[in-house]
Amino acid sequence: MEFDFSAIWDSRNLLAEGLATTLFISVVAVPVSIVLGAAIVLMRISGNLILRSVATAYVEAIRNTPFLIQIFMVFYALPFVGIRLSGLPTGILCLSIYGAAYFAEIFRGGIESVPKGQFDACKSLALPYGFYMRRMIVPQLYKYIIPPGTNIALTMIKESSLLSMITVAELTYVAHDINGRTFSPVESFTVIALLYWLVSTLFLFVAEWLQSRTGHVQEDSPMIVR
Amino acid sequence: MDFQFPQILAQSGPMVLAAFVTIYVGLMSCFLGLVIGTALLLLQRTNIRVVRGLVRIYSSFIRGTPALVQILVFYYALPPLIGIDIGPMTAGILAISFNSGAYVAEILRGGLSRISSGQLEAATALGLRRFLVWRKIILPQVYHSVIPLLVNEFTMVIKITPLLSTITVVELTREAQYLITSTFRPVEVLTIAAVLYFIICFSISQLGEVLQRRSLKFRM
Repeated sequence: MEFDFSAIWDSRNLLAEGLATTLFISVVAVPVSIVLGAAIVLMRISGNLILRSVATAYVEAIRNTPFLIQIFMVFYALPFVGIRLSGLPTGILCLSIYGAAYFAEIFRGGIESVPKGQFDACKSLALPYGFYMRRMIVPQLYKYIIPPGTNIALTMIKESSLLSMITVAELTYVAHDINGRTFSPVESFTVIALLYWLVSTLFLFVAEWLQSRTGHVQEDSPMIVR
Repeated sequence: MDFQFPQILAQSGPMVLAAFVTIYVGLMSCFLGLVIGTALLLLQRTNIRVVRGLVRIYSSFIRGTPALVQILVFYYALPPLIGIDIGPMTAGILAISFNSGAYVAEILRGGLSRISSGQLEAATALGLRRFLVWRKIILPQVYHSVIPLLVNEFTMVIKITPLLSTITVVELTREAQYLITSTFRPVEVLTIAAVLYFIICFSISQLGEVLQRRSLKFRM
């Protein structure tokens, strides 16, 4: 069996575009899902029963169904209600919705590790909600949420590969395309696997460097988030 | 828009059957993943530096590439490489097992770090052979302490199985796609599929929480 990487080399521009799309999706979806996740966790810890139930239902529904089903759901269901989006916006929307549930869980874990007495103290000092959350609670959360948050961001980069199923021209889609034209499954899929590996390794490298700079060193926790 | 849930529900028999295929794939992969994870855990601790390096590269590769790409590599790239034509089902189960194995190894490593090294030393001092020390003393404790995490890993595996629909394994998602093409009611069909997945995953994760609470109670 011999390998012929010339077909891959001829399609290098396509691969570069696919990689750029993958990165673009992640760069947009990760910040959006962090903001959305923060909103959900605020709903989840609020005193309002309805808000709390909605947030809990959202998080459980997303976390207990496969991402592929969620993508199909959004992709097929939105046109039925009259919203027509092309693949890329749908994909970013799906990935953000998906990531938000996981970020919300991480934020909740962080907030629960803050002693309850601090909330009571802030309330008894009559500090406004926004003020004490922003100035007292959130600064303590970084060390709990940054290491698992890094993992979730990495998971989102990897899960973006599923968007190839709804015709988003990202890296995996490009590999299918090259394979379809040149019939070189071994080469095309190994090359994109290596590219994904490169992206993940670089991402983790940068994340660790930032964590060591800010002093939030990743602990060797037994909890595996994927 | 109007929903036709009763009509679609009447045709959803094959999907329920396919859900059992999903569970079967999940169980097989989880079992193989546990075997691979244990092997990786032991290989991580050998004195041969090359083996340790290989294990590290393996787990970094698995954790750094999407499960979908791994499945595609196993299905499209492995048969030409090794010259054996494995079917989609085998390729899929193998891919998920090797994926899960890397994470299971990480879980087991966490469990192992909670066992004091004194046990290993005591067992060795009693003259037990290495194999017996691991099989009878260390590994049972490691498994017991990480049962909740392993249960959680099982839900993760179940959530990867839909990707097998891309390599023509007829499991829940693939069956749902068939039903969509024949009825053209994607919303209803996908809702039923999502509910089935939710039932599988949610009941497993609730079981995990019960086990976690019980293991905490026993530790007191």
